[in-house]
Amino acid sequence: MSAIVEAKGLAKVYRRGREEISALKGVDFIVNQGEFVSIIGPSGSGKTALLNVMGCMDTPTRGSLRLNGVETSGLQERDLVRLRRENIGFVFQQFYLMPTLTARENIELPLLFSKKAENKSRVDDIMEMVGLGDRGDHLPGQLSGGEMQRVAIGRALINDPKIVLADEPTGNLDSVTSQMIFKLFSELNGQGMTIVIVTHNLDLARQAQKMYTLRDGRIVGCEDLASDHWKR
Amino acid sequence: MNFFTLAAKNLLRRRGRTLLTVLGVAIAISVLFSLLALNAGYEKELNREMNSMGAHLLAVPKGCPYEAASLIIHGGVIPKYLSARDLKNVSSIPDVELATPMLMHQFMKKDEKTGKSTPHIIYGINMAEMLRLKPWWKVEGRYFADNETRVMLVGRDLAEKENLSVGQVLPVGPEKEDFVIVGILDRTGDQDDQFHFFPLAEAQRVFGKEGKITTIAVKVRDVSQISLVSEEMEKIPDIQVVTMTQVMGTIMNLAGSARSLLLTVIVVALIISAFGIINTLLMSVNERTREFGMMKAIGASGTDIGKMVLLETIVITISGGMLGTVAALAGSRVIESFVKGMLPYSPRGSFISFSPELVAFALAFSVILGLVCGIYPAFISSRLTPMEAIRSGLE
Repeated sequence: MSAIVEAKGLAKVYRRGREEISALKGVDFIVNQGEFVSIIGPSGSGKTALLNVMGCMDTPTRGSLRLNGVETSGLQERDLVRLRRENIGFVFQQFYLMPTLTARENIELPLLFSKKAENKSRVDDIMEMVGLGDRGDHLPGQLSGGEMQRVAIGRALINDPKIVLADEPTGNLDSVTSQMIFKLFSELNGQGMTIVIVTHNLDLARQAQKMYTLRDGRIVGCEDLASDHWKR
Repeated sequence: MNFFTLAAKNLLRRRGRTLLTVLGVAIAISVLFSLLALNAGYEKELNREMNSMGAHLLAVPKGCPYEAASLIIHGGVIPKYLSARDLKNVSSIPDVELATPMLMHQFMKKDEKTGKSTPHIIYGINMAEMLRLKPWWKVEGRYFADNETRVMLVGRDLAEKENLSVGQVLPVGPEKEDFVIVGILDRTGDQDDQFHFFPLAEAQRVFGKEGKITTIAVKVRDVSQISLVSEEMEKIPDIQVVTMTQVMGTIMNLAGSARSLLLTVIVVALIISAFGIINTLLMSVNERTREFGMMKAIGASGTDIGKMVLLETIVITISGGMLGTVAALAGSRVIESFVKGMLPYSPRGSFISFSPELVAFALAFSVILGLVCGIYPAFISSRLTPMEAIRSGLE
C-alpha cells in the first residue's frame, strides 16, 4: 500500500507573546492509501495541530512531511495551495458553510477556486452520496447540524481529493447524528477514500481501521482496529 | 457560480451595512456628477444667454459694468442715464452697424388675490432696430410701430403667468394709462420671455424719462473690429463699454471660484465616503477571517480571496455610482437650484447638461474608487494563512 501522508519527526511550536507552546514534539506518522484513521487525545495533546500540518494548512517547525509523494517543507504558499487543492478535502467541526449559498452552491464552491468547470452530474452524485439529494436548494440556516456537516463533507469531496481530513466532525452534533456522520465516512472509506479523523469521542474513533493516541504532542499509542493489534 | 455572484451574495449578508455604504457612495457620486454636468452646461447656457442679447457691445453709464450688464440681461433699473447725444456719437463710429437705444424701467405690481407685489420690467425699444438685432423674434398678434402710442408687446412666460392675451388692456405708469397688448412674443427661452416691451418714446413719456436712455446695444459690422469699436466708444464721456466677452469672462471667473468651493466640498465628501468604504470592508474582512481560512483550506489562493474582497468593493461603488447618477438625473432641478444659490450669476435656463460620456465617467470613477478603497482590505485578507485565519476567529 502506498503512503498518502508520511511524517517524520514533525514538530510544531506556536508562539503566544513570549511563551512558546510545543504542540508537536517529533511525531512519526504514516497514512496509507485507503485507510480510515482516527486520532484521539485530550485537549491540547496536538491532535488538531497534527491534522493542520498534515493538510498543509500549517507548516511544521521541524521535521518532514510528504504528501502524496511530495515533500512539503520549504514549499511556497502558492505551491501549498495547489497541493491542498489537488489532494485534500477538509471537514471542520463548525462546518464553515457560506450562509448565503445554498447547499448545492456550498458543495460547488471549491470548483470556483480550482478553476474546474461546474459538472452538474458530479455534484448530483455527491449530493446523493452524502444523502442530500433533495436538500440542494436549502440555505445552511434551513438545514440541521447533521445536514450541514453532510454539505461540508460533500464540499470536501467535490475536487476528488486523495485524502479527507476531518477535525472533530461530530463535535457539534448529537450522538445519533454523530453516528450517522461516522457511518458516512465509513461508506466513503469503503469506496476507497482515505480518511483521517480527529475526535474526542473514543466510541466513534474505534470504528476506524487504525486509531492513534496523542498526548503532549507525542504519539503514545497506535491501535490497529482492523486486526485488533496493539503497536507502540 | 463565479466570483461576482459570490461577492454579491456576501454583500447581501449584511444588507443594512451594505445599503448605508452604497448610499454614502451614491451621495458623493451624485454631487460629483451634478457638478460635472453643471460645468459642461454652465458656459454653454451663459453663451446662449449672451448671444440672445443680439449685441456685441453694450454702452452703459459709467459705474460697475458687470452689474450693469447683469441688470440689462435680467432686467433692473440702472439709476444713471445716457442721452440722445451719446447715441448719436456711438452711431457715428465707423464699423458700427447698429446702435439701438433702450430704456429700462421697473415697477411693482400687486397681485389682487395674494396681495404680493412682484417686480415687472419694462423695456423701451426701437422695434425696427430691435428686429435687426434679434431677427429670431416671432410674435402672436403684431409688432408695434415706433411711433404708436399706448401699445405694448409682452414675453410669453409673462403672458402665461399673468394670463394675458392679445387685445387686453393694462393700466401702466403713475397715471394708470391704458396700454393695449398688440402682440405676445413667441417663446425665446431667454430673459425676453419675462419682459414688457414699449415703444421707446412711450416708455420715456409714461415714466417721465424723456430723452433718457439706460443702455445702447451695439452691433458691429465685423466682429474682428469689436475691440477697435470698443476703444472708440470709451472715448465718449460718461460711457462705459461692456463687451459680451468681458462679461462672460468675469462671470466665468466668479462662477469658477464657486465651483472650486463646491469641488472642495465634493472631494471632502468623497474622502469621507472612501474611508467609510474602507472601514466597512475592514470590518467585514475582520469578521470573516475564519471563513477566509476555510476557503483557503478548500483550495482558495490569497489572490482568490483578495479578488473576492476587491469585487465586493467594486460592486458597492458601482451600485453607489449608478444610484448616484440616477439620483442626480432625477433630482437635477433640486441640485440646480442649490447650485444656483451658490453662484454669483446664473443663466436663467437650465444649465445642467448630461451626456452619455458624463454617465460613463461617473461609473468609471466609481470603479476607480472601488479599486482604491478595496486594495488595502483585499491585501490584508489575501495575506492571511489558513491557520492564522481560523485561529484568529477562535480566539
